[in-house]
Amino acid sequence: MNNWLRQHAFAFGSALNLLRKGFGNFLFNVLVLSATLALPFAGLTVLDNVQSISSQFAVDPEISVFMGLDTPREKAAALEPAIRRIVQAESRNVDISFISREKALESLNQKSGISDVIATLGVNPLPDGYLIRIGRNEGNTVTFARIEDIGKQLEKLPNVQKVQIDSAWIKRLAALLRVLQSALIFLAGTLGLVVIAVTFNTIRLQVLTRVDEIAISRLVGATRSFIRRPFYYMGALLGLAAGTVALGMVALALLPFNAAIADLARLYSSELQFAPLSVLPSILMLLISAALGWIGAVLSVNRHLRLIG
Amino acid sequence: MIEFENVSRVYEGGITALKDVTLSISPGELVFLSGHSGAGKSTLLKLIAGIERPSSGTLTVNGHDIGRIKPTGIPFLRRNLGLILQQHHLLMDRSILANVMLPLLVTGELKSEAEKRARAALEKVDLLDRSDTLPAALSGGEQQRAAIARAIVNRPQIILADEPTTSLDRESAKKVFDAITFFQSAGVTCLIATHDDQFVERASRVIHLRQGQLTGTSSSLTPAVTA
Repeated sequence: MNNWLRQHAFAFGSALNLLRKGFGNFLFNVLVLSATLALPFAGLTVLDNVQSISSQFAVDPEISVFMGLDTPREKAAALEPAIRRIVQAESRNVDISFISREKALESLNQKSGISDVIATLGVNPLPDGYLIRIGRNEGNTVTFARIEDIGKQLEKLPNVQKVQIDSAWIKRLAALLRVLQSALIFLAGTLGLVVIAVTFNTIRLQVLTRVDEIAISRLVGATRSFIRRPFYYMGALLGLAAGTVALGMVALALLPFNAAIADLARLYSSELQFAPLSVLPSILMLLISAALGWIGAVLSVNRHLRLIG
Repeated sequence: MIEFENVSRVYEGGITALKDVTLSISPGELVFLSGHSGAGKSTLLKLIAGIERPSSGTLTVNGHDIGRIKPTGIPFLRRNLGLILQQHHLLMDRSILANVMLPLLVTGELKSEAEKRARAALEKVDLLDRSDTLPAALSGGEQQRAAIARAIVNRPQIILADEPTTSLDRESAKKVFDAITFFQSAGVTCLIATHDDQFVERASRVIHLRQGQLTGTSSSLTPAVTA
């Protein structure tokens, strides 16, 4: 175990030494790779922020509660306290309106322009119902998940036939986020290949400039692993450095971006700020960057050591 | 220790470098391989080092069958060999000390221990005062002695030297042979391929090769005996 660790420490030291000798080239490669990685990192940062914001958007959702057609008026009207109790558990700022079936029909006739068709029915097909508007509760917003909970509780009330939540906009947003997510995965995959390709080429040059060293090491009893490890570490270090710079670039880019977003949000009496990736996702991104560099190095070393014999 | 049994080496295109060589080398011998260019001396050494494999026959080195040894086993075979080649094969961007430390570092030796042993090896070839020098600053003879220090630093059982004194003046060549014979006297088996017959009296045996075939062996003081 000690020997294994010592070999890895030696390989790591050799990799650092190689990087130090070609520090200018290393910096240039880090710049190229970090520019490549910055794009998916920025996309991820935006997506992460939008997802987080959309889950607690300040909206005044509407819930429509429909009674059964045969529910007597007095029983329908008597549900209001129960409805208020359920809804007010989430927000004190609630507007509950009882809509009689007559008023609903009148409204339908006015809005839809199909009064002739409705008149041919001879009867009013609409039930009594409630329209519930949930406002902000002392500045806090009610999440979509909580609205769905309220809907489920309302469905359990006696004589309630259907509860409809006005969630179209949330669904649209969720669909949009899914599209963004897919685009981001495609972008990250493509640019990940670019990182592998750039590392592949960088390591190729390193292998080719060290042909003599490799040959001598083989002659004095170096194993395949001993020869390859420094190049693997070099690839991983390249990826790690590029990932670190890319995260920094995205964090810096957020400063002017946030200023513009804040101006826009102020117009809607809101406050909005995009935050950089938090610690865990950042660490994950760095590990992925290092892994991409490592993969590029492995592919390059395998290919070029085979070619030089 | 080293056993050749009807060993042949044929390159692509049908060029025969060694043909049906059978010989045995015992521990502690100092053997000279003699013959003109193209006689097969270097090929014989490359086969022992596992750089090449026999086309036919059986070659055993320290119990390893070179024809059958796996590629992963070759580095471990070489750790018991000290190779001194015609071109000194030193890393020109590293100090002499770093070059001599290399065989120890590849085995996972501690850097401090490797440095200690490398300095001891350099002292034996009278190069300790040049340990921090880059190879380019040394003469050809000094570079060859540095290569000898690197070859023996791992305390190998066998030293293989391919034309170690080519292009060296007599004084430098003598120092190189002095260094090699010093290790032979300490029990290391030494095989030296050379044109240089001025030090042949030091050999315990001379093996004569011609066009890939063993033409005879002799002790240093007796004429060649046809095989």
